[in-house]
Amino acid sequence: MGVIKMERKKLSAMERLYLPEILKGMGVTIRHLVKNLFNMKQLPTIQYPEVKRVYSERFRGRHILTTREDGTTRCVACYMCSTACPAECIAIEAGEDERTREKFPVRYDIDLLRCIFCGYCVDACPEDAIYMTRDYEMAIDTRARSVVGLRDLVVPPNMPVGPMGWRPYYGSMTKVGTAGGTGAGQELRQPPFPDEAPPNPDLFRGGNAS
Amino acid sequence: MSTLTRSSSLPYTGPAPTNRLPYVPHNVEAANARAEAIAQKIGGGMLSPVPGHDAPTFAVTRESILDALRALRDDADFAFTMPLDLFGIDYPDRNERFDVVYHLLSIKNAERIRLIVRTDADTPLPSSLGVFEGFDWFEREVFDMFGVRFEGHYNLRRILCHEAFQGHALRKDYDPGKRWLLTDKDVAKLDPIITVEPEHHDFEQVTLNLGPSHPATHGTLRMAVTLDGEKIIGMDTEIGYLHRCFEKMCETHTYNQVVPFTDRLNYCSAYINNVGYAMTVEKLLGIEAPARAQHIRLILSEFSRIADHFVCIGANLVDLGALTNFWYLFQPREEILQLFENCCGARLLPSYVRIGGLPIDVPHNFLEHAQRIVDMIPKYVDDVDRLITRNRIFHERTNGVGPISAEDAIRFGFTGPCLRATGVPYDVRVANPYLGYETYDWDVPVADGGDTYARYLVRMEEIRQSVRIIRQAIKRGLPDGPVMVDDPYIALPPKERVYNEMESLIYHFKLIMHGIQPPIGETYFQVEGANGEVGFYVVSDGTKNPYRVRVRPPCFAIYQAFRHMIVGQTVPDLIAALGSLNIIAGELDH
Repeated sequence: MGVIKMERKKLSAMERLYLPEILKGMGVTIRHLVKNLFNMKQLPTIQYPEVKRVYSERFRGRHILTTREDGTTRCVACYMCSTACPAECIAIEAGEDERTREKFPVRYDIDLLRCIFCGYCVDACPEDAIYMTRDYEMAIDTRARSVVGLRDLVVPPNMPVGPMGWRPYYGSMTKVGTAGGTGAGQELRQPPFPDEAPPNPDLFRGGNAS
Repeated sequence: MSTLTRSSSLPYTGPAPTNRLPYVPHNVEAANARAEAIAQKIGGGMLSPVPGHDAPTFAVTRESILDALRALRDDADFAFTMPLDLFGIDYPDRNERFDVVYHLLSIKNAERIRLIVRTDADTPLPSSLGVFEGFDWFEREVFDMFGVRFEGHYNLRRILCHEAFQGHALRKDYDPGKRWLLTDKDVAKLDPIITVEPEHHDFEQVTLNLGPSHPATHGTLRMAVTLDGEKIIGMDTEIGYLHRCFEKMCETHTYNQVVPFTDRLNYCSAYINNVGYAMTVEKLLGIEAPARAQHIRLILSEFSRIADHFVCIGANLVDLGALTNFWYLFQPREEILQLFENCCGARLLPSYVRIGGLPIDVPHNFLEHAQRIVDMIPKYVDDVDRLITRNRIFHERTNGVGPISAEDAIRFGFTGPCLRATGVPYDVRVANPYLGYETYDWDVPVADGGDTYARYLVRMEEIRQSVRIIRQAIKRGLPDGPVMVDDPYIALPPKERVYNEMESLIYHFKLIMHGIQPPIGETYFQVEGANGEVGFYVVSDGTKNPYRVRVRPPCFAIYQAFRHMIVGQTVPDLIAALGSLNIIAGELDH
């Protein structure tokens, strides 16, 4: 390890003339222009929303609540996720199933405007009940709609792994995360997006409709 | 159980949790001996060593603090010339409830010391501005947060909280949920202090307000400049627009929950903050992340540094009218963010550490991806170099603009590229190596002049040096092994075991509900952030929540000197110099 002194050289007469340096600079930009013109596929720009970028399998997007084979939610309302949440955006109300005496959530609200998408709820869940998806399109038009309830979060059983993002880790993931696109020349998806239909057609209906 | 990534055999048979035991730093004997040596040399009974800390620590009385600071600064052997940090800690049960902690740095010996002065809410401390001008804003912050007054401070008013704020936020008896409304009529008018004698008495002096949402501030900074003709003769700054109570929030969250908050300090290089915080708590716990995790941390930290310099140079050049470079630099930055996204699922705010390691291993193609990015970066950096470095317009806009001398930079507590641009080769990665930086072959770039052009040169070279480090790190390959320590009191058990075993479920439950409980004590750890020394000071009382977390934000020290750098120059110079300081509002305002 050493120290390098950055030299501050005075501009030479040629450089002070201004024009030669401008031409040299133009050379750089024109090289980029030509390279891009003949290599449109390599352009880093994405024509969103017509074309979408593929995010990795670990993407921390909108949450879902998974279900068992029989269609009941896996969540047992243990409050681990809401305890682990640094943003305190999860509100749960527990109820008891009269037949099985199982605990289950009567209300499960996530305020997506408070959520910081850190994935701690997924790490905290002992029941494999909350996952994050690769869904990042969460625009809403009123603040009230930012609160999503059970109805928006619960997905049917045997949900395909395709749109899944951040899931339980430490060995439980079926395969080690694969890379998504990489900027230029990245993997892109063209429309239509059949498997990207949101798990619930009433997505972001908002409110505590459950 | 074949897919487990960790080899531990539960139930855990190691030592019991360290709960409620005092923290014993690994270097406690050396620190105690050093404290004795310093106290003997400086002497006069001013410094009474407090043993048991990770750095020489002294209790000093209110009356002798100024003399002690001056003696430490002027001593040729110790040379504690840099004011590093000044903050308070509140112990409401005590008679003199506040600890005011002065952190000093000796660049010569790469050594830090701590002076602790006790005081109560009514007794003011003497202001140390006469000794260390760099404590200016730090004293205001202590006043704002704790209500400790500093006698003789020229401008002791609130700095992070607004004018309508009642009470002192970091006192333990202040309710974290309390809100205060700021209305238009409460907003103070900035009144710049005129520091240069106006030349033209025939002109009317104009006070111009810049910001808080000015396009060139790239964040929420507010400045008011008094102009004499075109010349700036006085300046005042107001910060705190992005104050998010980082330090107060830490006190109500567990150690791991603080990690996402640290993302939001310097959000251009969030990962370095993550690492700095996690390593501080690991130091407090007396553990070290596994070699694989450390290697990944190093690679990603260097990528963060590169991305931060890209943002700084790119945005600075946009302010100067050179838009093209912004595109050239943001293309490789996009790749770096993509690498982060592949590792942890988020681009800008990764939260990709936990106390004790990483939450998840990197993807299998991590090194190839990293290699592709480091092959790509030099091309774009060279393009910018060709466009800008010898360009006459850029030279004339930046040469001699916003200069600061090496002595002043040290006096104000500059660290990072802004300090190295004045010719001082101080870098935490060299002075106090961590993550194995000392085993890599790289150089510290310095420049002279301390102006905008020098800062540009240093940042450009730092990008190349970071690429050098990453290339070597890739060549060495990732060490095998886990990425998380093997201790169920710190790391969550593997998910499969949580689902299937009672013991693991209990460990999991305990860790989420009761958190990590470090030993009782306090420690400081520093990493080289993209714009200077990022330090975390963590005080633990043995419970799941930190008693106090103090972050030492490098731009805080740098931005307070901006007034001195820019007075006598023009408004266009101010824009050029501001961009080159890389003031990140998230970090500045905590």
